[in-house]
Amino acid sequence: MATVAEQWVLVEMVQALYEAPAYHLILEGILILWIIRLLFSKTYKLQERSDLTVKEKEELIEEWQPEPLVPPVSKDHPALNYNIVSGPPSHNIVVNGKECINFASFNFLGLLDNPRLKAAALASLKKYGVGTCGPRGFYGTFDVHLDLEDRLAKFMKTEEAIIYSYGFATIASAIPAYSKRGDIVFVDKAACFAIQKGLQASRSDIKLFNHNDMDDLERLLKEQEIEDQKNPRKARVTRRFIVVEGLYMNTGTICPLPELIDDIDLISANMENSLASIGGFCCGRSFVIDHQRLSGQGYCFSASLPPLLAAAAIEALNIMEENPGIFAVLKEKCKRIHKALQGISGLKVVGESISPAFHLQLEESTGCRERDVKLLQEIVTQCMDRGIALTQARYLEKEEKYLPPPSIRVVVTVEQTEEELEKAATTISKVAQTVLL
Amino acid sequence: MGRGCGFLETGGVEGSAAPQAGRASEAGRMNVGVAHSEVNPNTRVMNSRGIWLAYIILVGLLHVVLLSIPFFSIPVVWTLTNVIHNLAMYVFLHTVKGTPFETPDQGKARLLTHWEQMDYGLQFTSSRKFLSISPIVLYLLASFYTKYDAAHFLINTASLLSVLLPKLPQFHGVRLFGINKY
Repeated sequence: MATVAEQWVLVEMVQALYEAPAYHLILEGILILWIIRLLFSKTYKLQERSDLTVKEKEELIEEWQPEPLVPPVSKDHPALNYNIVSGPPSHNIVVNGKECINFASFNFLGLLDNPRLKAAALASLKKYGVGTCGPRGFYGTFDVHLDLEDRLAKFMKTEEAIIYSYGFATIASAIPAYSKRGDIVFVDKAACFAIQKGLQASRSDIKLFNHNDMDDLERLLKEQEIEDQKNPRKARVTRRFIVVEGLYMNTGTICPLPELIDDIDLISANMENSLASIGGFCCGRSFVIDHQRLSGQGYCFSASLPPLLAAAAIEALNIMEENPGIFAVLKEKCKRIHKALQGISGLKVVGESISPAFHLQLEESTGCRERDVKLLQEIVTQCMDRGIALTQARYLEKEEKYLPPPSIRVVVTVEQTEEELEKAATTISKVAQTVLL
Repeated sequence: MGRGCGFLETGGVEGSAAPQAGRASEAGRMNVGVAHSEVNPNTRVMNSRGIWLAYIILVGLLHVVLLSIPFFSIPVVWTLTNVIHNLAMYVFLHTVKGTPFETPDQGKARLLTHWEQMDYGLQFTSSRKFLSISPIVLYLLASFYTKYDAAHFLINTASLLSVLLPKLPQFHGVRLFGINKY
């Protein structure tokens, strides 16, 4: 390396080219051929490896028989024989023209028919109109939405809350907003369908543990720890989540939260049941909830909640805050009917004694799910004839991961009197005896 | 108001300019600060308008800066240009993984380098060809200007190989010895 700049003469350079070593020139020739090859190569997509030859693919296509667009379905499919409700599904519900006591709608606090809620919704309707015609980010945010989010955050004693316009979409949007491909989610086997869809949309690794079995969860966590030690670099970029339901809809049981964890990052709930509104919300620390404002698919891309429903939800929160005694009343009623329904021959009560929505399952299954469903449907129909409106818990049987056994879902509300609870218990008892013999 | 009048008057001009505007608005425009439906904008960066020219100017700038250092001879400068260019290309295209922003595809590209993300994995697109050919051109120039010296040959060839091999379609997603896998 000369300190003085060498004289750069073109002739000298070309002379060096003539005296260049052969290996170098050969390499340069190969590189120029490579450039030509690159310039003439066509763009193509990298094929996913498929082990079928073209011939096998043709054979499979020949063999395929199209299924009918509308598959044949039995005449007594529940979707074809639905009950028609006239009027609101409140405490006294008119089903198929017959008046019954409502033990089927999730109207836990009886706020569905509450005059205060109706007045608040009407006032909001007169002020804002019916809908919002836009998502939250596109002129769909009204002051009632911000008010409701504020009130929910205060009620749940968290920093911030976010509202979705559809209860199912709430948790199904919240989970994929945080958990992505390569992340791990530990979830209970009895999680409801909305959670299952959220997990499916997240494309993460799902590890299921037995329902309410903390030891099973610990086993899974320990296995994961061993995996992490084998590959610490992968562990550093993997996020982990635990998803549990507070009160499981499919089993009526409560998750053992104190054993599980000290600090919860996100609470998600449905406003379509107790709050007698529509939609759902998530609440937690601002740092966590704010992320959903841009990443929650249901929040960004669905129209926002109609203001009249938001006003109704705010009024429902008012009622709940003014009158916190109704929760104790509801718990009492739950315990009462839970006790009264014990000992029915043929049916067993599944769920906590304080759970307002629990299941009645057949003590001994007939072995075939269809027959079980038919038996339970017979019980439900006969109860309805005697003035007690019940329903079976329905599932998309082919889509559920762990399909729960068929059951009748009984809902307890604050509006049911003690006589009505007694009447329901005795009616179910008698009907079960006649149907199940 | 002035714009409204202007529209009427320049209607004819706009009409004739429309087809050109249509062509120009296709791929090649940088979607900075506008709403777009591109799932992973990283895939389209190297197709943006003017980026090839910017790349060439940047390499030229590197070369000029190296030339301005008084105690580097011409062969050293060219070898350094080649090596620094290849090193930067290796780091930015073949080492750094994922995206600096959240993508709506649930993190499909989290473990992919920028080269693997380009054009969603489509091989031999024009940007990929440009980025494969530019280190080779730089190598040919460096070989000429170092007068085919053996020591420079070794350094330049090793550097070129390190940047050509990851670009082969056979190396898509390959992580040797688990390096840079997660």
